[in-house]
Amino acid sequence: MLRRALAVSLLAASSAAAEPPLPFDLGGAYALTNQFGETRTEADPEGHAQLLFFGYANCLNICSAALPLMADVVDALAEDGIAVTPVMITVAPDQDTVETMGAPLAEIHPDFIGLTGDRATLQTAYDAFAIEVEPLFQDPEYGWVYAHGSFVHLLDGAGDMLTLLPPILDAERSADIVRGYLAPRG
Amino acid sequence: MRYALPLLLSSLALPATAAEGTRIQVTGEIIDTWCYYSGVMGGPDAVVGSAHHTCALWCSAGGIPVGLLAEDGTVYMVLKIAQDATSASGDTQLSLAAHTVTADGMFYERDGLNYIVVSEVISDMDIVNPTHEDYGTVPPFSFPEPE
Repeated sequence: MLRRALAVSLLAASSAAAEPPLPFDLGGAYALTNQFGETRTEADPEGHAQLLFFGYANCLNICSAALPLMADVVDALAEDGIAVTPVMITVAPDQDTVETMGAPLAEIHPDFIGLTGDRATLQTAYDAFAIEVEPLFQDPEYGWVYAHGSFVHLLDGAGDMLTLLPPILDAERSADIVRGYLAPRG
Repeated sequence: MRYALPLLLSSLALPATAAEGTRIQVTGEIIDTWCYYSGVMGGPDAVVGSAHHTCALWCSAGGIPVGLLAEDGTVYMVLKIAQDATSASGDTQLSLAAHTVTADGMFYERDGLNYIVVSEVISDMDIVNPTHEDYGTVPPFSFPEPE
């Protein structure tokens, strides 16, 4: 009830069917490596839309809100027959390797794709989405803790940016926004 | 915390805008959007102002985007506070947590949400909402007990 009431103040008019182009120049090409050792670009191999977040698999901060939210949105949309792939590009390649990042992501959602790479290829992706990564401090148990981007990006199957999702929305509202871009028209 | 707080998470370091927004000036409080919307730490009156300042710092440093709660109750998701010319804008977000400010920037409405790219904080009135008088520290564990 409280959340519903509060949402009224955040939500302006109606939702998003025919939004104008993004007012921000975000998105672009990248080529990274997933947890299976395969190269993956900004385009989804099956042409599915994508929810993209920059974080790291063992992040206890914003990722612990954003990654489960992405999973819930993917599941909600799947019930409508809308396939969306959750993707995380690591901001901590020393911690998220091909060998290590798959298991924690699979715990969040079995379809989660983790992407890593060398510093240069990752920087290309960071630059495309205007992500600034800053090491904050080193946790003795979990390693480095990083500041990084906070928003979830909705991409189409070709990897073009559609919109942003604040990670503080609930899954229902987030799924509604995504449906506005992906629901079958006709 | 003492390591994290001086640093800041820039919620989104936007490049030059590719489309026009609407220039606005808004007076309101820089809030912790996670606690404000989730309700997990208490009602909306408890998670603003002085009572929630420490938690707001934790959330901001942990990656929660800050918002601007206007006097009329409208919440703007803050995409960037461009007071700093460099990527140190994160420090600005931390230093303004729970502060009431007047911000000048570009307003964008998208997907039913309000976004603002703050180009300038015209005035910073500091923390003027003394909610600790009614609520203490919210949540109490946000202020670690000294060992």
